Amino acid sequence: MTTDTQQRQHPGFYAIVVMLIIMAVGPIALMLINSFKLDVDIISGTTGLLFMPTIQNYETALCDILPYELEHLDYCALKFGGAFINSLIIALVSTVLTLIIGCMAAYALVRFKFMGRDTASATTLMVRMVPPAVLLVPVFGLWNNEFCIDKASWLGSLIRDNFGGRGDVCLAGTHSGIILIYIAMNLPFVIWILQSFIVQVPRQLEEAARMDGAGPFQVFFKVVLPLIKPGLAAAAIFTFRIAWNEYLLASALSDRDTKTVPILIVNNMSEFNVEWGVIMATGMLLAIPPIIFTLFASRQIITGMTAGAVKG
Amino acid sequence: MTSVGSFIMNKATANRFTPYIFLLPAAVIMVLALLYPLGYMIYGSFRDWDPSQSLTESTFVGLKNYITLWNDPNFRESTLVTLKFAISVVTFEMIIGVGLALLLDRNLRGMSVLRTLFILPMMIAPVVVGLIWRYMYHPTLGVFNRGLKSVGLESVDWLGQHALLSVIIADIWQWTPFIFILALAALQSLPRSALEAARIDGATGWQQIIHIKLPLMMPVLIVTCLLRLIDAFKVLEVILVMTEGGPGLSTEIMALRISRTATEFRELGVAAAMSNYLLIMLLMLTVLMLVYNRYMEYRASRAMLAARGA
Amino acid sequence: MLNLTQTLRSLTVASVLAAGAAVAGPYDEYAGTTLIVNFPAHPHYDAVRKILPEFTAETGIEVEVDQLPYLKMRERQTLELAQDEGDYDLIAYVVFSKADYVYADQLENLARYFMNPKLSDPNYDADDLIDGYVYNIGFAGGNKGYLEGKTGSLFGIPYGSETSILGYRKDVFEKHGLSVPESYDELLEIACKIPELEPGMGGLSSRAASGHHASHAFLLHLAPLGGRIFDDNWNPIVNNEAGVQAANALKTIVDCGPEGAASFGFGEALGSFLAGDTAMFLDTTVVAGQIDDPSKSKVVGKVDWALHPMGTRRGSQTGGFGIGIPKNAENKEAAFLLMQWLTSKKGDKLVALAGGNPSRFSTHEDADVNAKFPHMSTFGEALKHADPDWRPIIPVWGKINADLGTTLSKVLTEDLDIQEALDGVAERTKAVMEEAGYYTWSN
Repeated sequence: MTTDTQQRQHPGFYAIVVMLIIMAVGPIALMLINSFKLDVDIISGTTGLLFMPTIQNYETALCDILPYELEHLDYCALKFGGAFINSLIIALVSTVLTLIIGCMAAYALVRFKFMGRDTASATTLMVRMVPPAVLLVPVFGLWNNEFCIDKASWLGSLIRDNFGGRGDVCLAGTHSGIILIYIAMNLPFVIWILQSFIVQVPRQLEEAARMDGAGPFQVFFKVVLPLIKPGLAAAAIFTFRIAWNEYLLASALSDRDTKTVPILIVNNMSEFNVEWGVIMATGMLLAIPPIIFTLFASRQIITGMTAGAVKG
Repeated sequence: MTSVGSFIMNKATANRFTPYIFLLPAAVIMVLALLYPLGYMIYGSFRDWDPSQSLTESTFVGLKNYITLWNDPNFRESTLVTLKFAISVVTFEMIIGVGLALLLDRNLRGMSVLRTLFILPMMIAPVVVGLIWRYMYHPTLGVFNRGLKSVGLESVDWLGQHALLSVIIADIWQWTPFIFILALAALQSLPRSALEAARIDGATGWQQIIHIKLPLMMPVLIVTCLLRLIDAFKVLEVILVMTEGGPGLSTEIMALRISRTATEFRELGVAAAMSNYLLIMLLMLTVLMLVYNRYMEYRASRAMLAARGA
Repeated sequence: MLNLTQTLRSLTVASVLAAGAAVAGPYDEYAGTTLIVNFPAHPHYDAVRKILPEFTAETGIEVEVDQLPYLKMRERQTLELAQDEGDYDLIAYVVFSKADYVYADQLENLARYFMNPKLSDPNYDADDLIDGYVYNIGFAGGNKGYLEGKTGSLFGIPYGSETSILGYRKDVFEKHGLSVPESYDELLEIACKIPELEPGMGGLSSRAASGHHASHAFLLHLAPLGGRIFDDNWNPIVNNEAGVQAANALKTIVDCGPEGAASFGFGEALGSFLAGDTAMFLDTTVVAGQIDDPSKSKVVGKVDWALHPMGTRRGSQTGGFGIGIPKNAENKEAAFLLMQWLTSKKGDKLVALAGGNPSRFSTHEDADVNAKFPHMSTFGEALKHADPDWRPIIPVWGKINADLGTTLSKVLTEDLDIQEALDGVAERTKAVMEEAGYYTWSN
């Protein structure tokens, strides 16, 4: 199919493709280049590649986890390393949990006829459209004031004794608080995508397994899950992408120890001192994981995108 | 664990309860972290609510927040900006995305590379997209003005005089690939027979596109368009980093205004009411999408019946 | 375990101190405590971070800094101060937060600490602190609620005092035989002459971006031109002649400014001066350090400073930050000790030498400081002319400020008529004030 119809195309088309690639990648490349420049080089306008590349910006960004002292810094202002670890914890945990929970729900919605199935299905679809900004106010209020454990209760005092901090133990300011809202935000999408993959799993396989005496959970984990791996991969990437990149809710819910990388970047665009080099370096560090995913799993991403939209 | 295990072993009960067990975790989380907050917000939108109070300490003010907003010219302007942004972004992205898909729907060697690299902009963080573009639009340092200057043209005050346009361009850069890829997928799954038949009948390229390709792609395109439209209302970080809503209110989309009202003006009740307005707008779009889907399913089944009848 | 190490550490510190002086020092009891402080991302507080290790070495009190952009810092504080028990032991706050925090009873009254002989340092010399700033930043409950007055008391101490000052390019002014502007007429004339004399260079770079920035730039001109936001009965008078004049001045400055001036925030405005794209800069004194830093600035050694030009009166801004102790703090006494140390003669001088903005008269006259920063005496002179009432510090100010800022930005970018714009601001301000109860006594 591909080889025999591959006739010679007009060179104009290749020109368009090359131009599109430059347009798509150009800005990112620009960021990469600038992240290796000193601020003086960025300001003075030496365009192009005529500059002395330096990793000083990356050193400034990562000063809190580098094993050696930096001469150009008096103290380490950016706690980027810590934020990077926070981002990793939050994105990974929320991705794994979303997948497990979403997968089970999608399976139930596809395979079982039960009361309330249509409602569950419709709700899933409806909440998909809720923008994070709409959740800002209630989540801020609930996580700070309502979803709390009294510090005098046994669990509360246990947490305070072991993890420090003051006041009642609230969801706000913890990794769990941010993870919870990310799971909730991503679930509808994950359920939606996975449904379209589970539908394609042949029922006979499940029947056969059940004949052999497998319970519904065994059928699910041993038969269904392996068959929808591509769907899981796509869902995982999309969930990770949102959890990794999100700024608004994280900034409302995090405290000084649970800041994620996007918050740090926005905070660092301080009005008093725009340090383009360091900003570009932090931006690059934040962009690297998604870029790696894209380069290695673009097929799964495209499958996921098309499954999500075309299935409808 | 053991209790769950024995519970599953008991097949008679298992059949009735399994779907609920599978659904339970998702339901708990959605109720706790989505539906309850939404209800909480609706409740809060009728109150005069300060961030330092818990909701129960605030006072009930009835519809006051909604009425204040309705009469607030700033809110109206920000609604207008939101609509302008969403509509122009989706229009341009659809035209460019579908156009490119039609143009490049052929066996070109670089296509898979193009598709991979094309996804990059939408995978990286909006915050990063915002800062890249803020840099590129910079009045003196940015590549655009440097480019204009090097060819002897006047430089343009991108984020000052043409802020909304600049923000729209950045969004088009980030999201056109989404439409392109979906349109391409739709094109490539079109029935070959219809296209072959048209070619044999001697239809020109344009005729094929207008009479065959576009109508057949339409269901996918409409869903894509609505999805993108809903997402366009969610945009926030890119604009926050690029312009912070300014100059004036020229780029202050509703999502941004909600966050400013809540954090900067400290009026949670008003912010909640604003969130509700936005939600109602989006709800209408989603309902539209659902209705359209149902309608298409209905038409498809009718067509099938008709075909069988003939 | 934690307690054990803490006691061990305080023991060692205590023994070290005991070797020097036989009597227990004031800091002994608190050695080993870790204070959590909330500071803004701001050059002065960058300088503070450089001198904090000295405090720890001297007292054994550890300090953990949570540094945030100042609007973020305010959001964070709003939340933290409302809790029963807060994380922060010491906070830096923007001047206009004073109204909110004191009104909500969230800051400690400092009287208790200065009365306590164990805590209060007899050599502190509070009279040396610049009066205007103590009243502007630290004092609440006086005249109009926010000015000096017999009914007020102290809730914070100014730390990082800023005022507005005119920076200009010596080389450009010399080249064209320009004299340094003393009045507003001269300032505006020169600002518009420079783009003609030096093609490609802007006159004066000012902030103008929507919101806080535009409002700030407007207020900067309002006070010297004789205007105010309110009269003595809280009636908005921002739309009177002086108000229009100030808005006109801002518009002229932006029009004759560098490219893209209408969207400049503080960072962009400063950046354009640092890059040599403008001949003048009229804003806060905090920038001096960056202008002399060769890694950031292309105009090192080319800039000189003059007082904020006069309109009908001298009236440079009073700004900057104060430090105070939250009511819900855990280690209030230790926090007071840190606060006292930072604002003492020694601390003030140290931070000035590290590039910060001193808040004491003596520091501005100090020989070492002046040797390192020759502009310091001009800055000291400017601080004396600082106008503590250049903007109202009342709880509803945030809302009025936002409205003023967006409206002015429209004047600058969309050619909205100035009188009409300010009339609108005055009308909306009146409604805000009405709702907040400012006219209760005027009937």
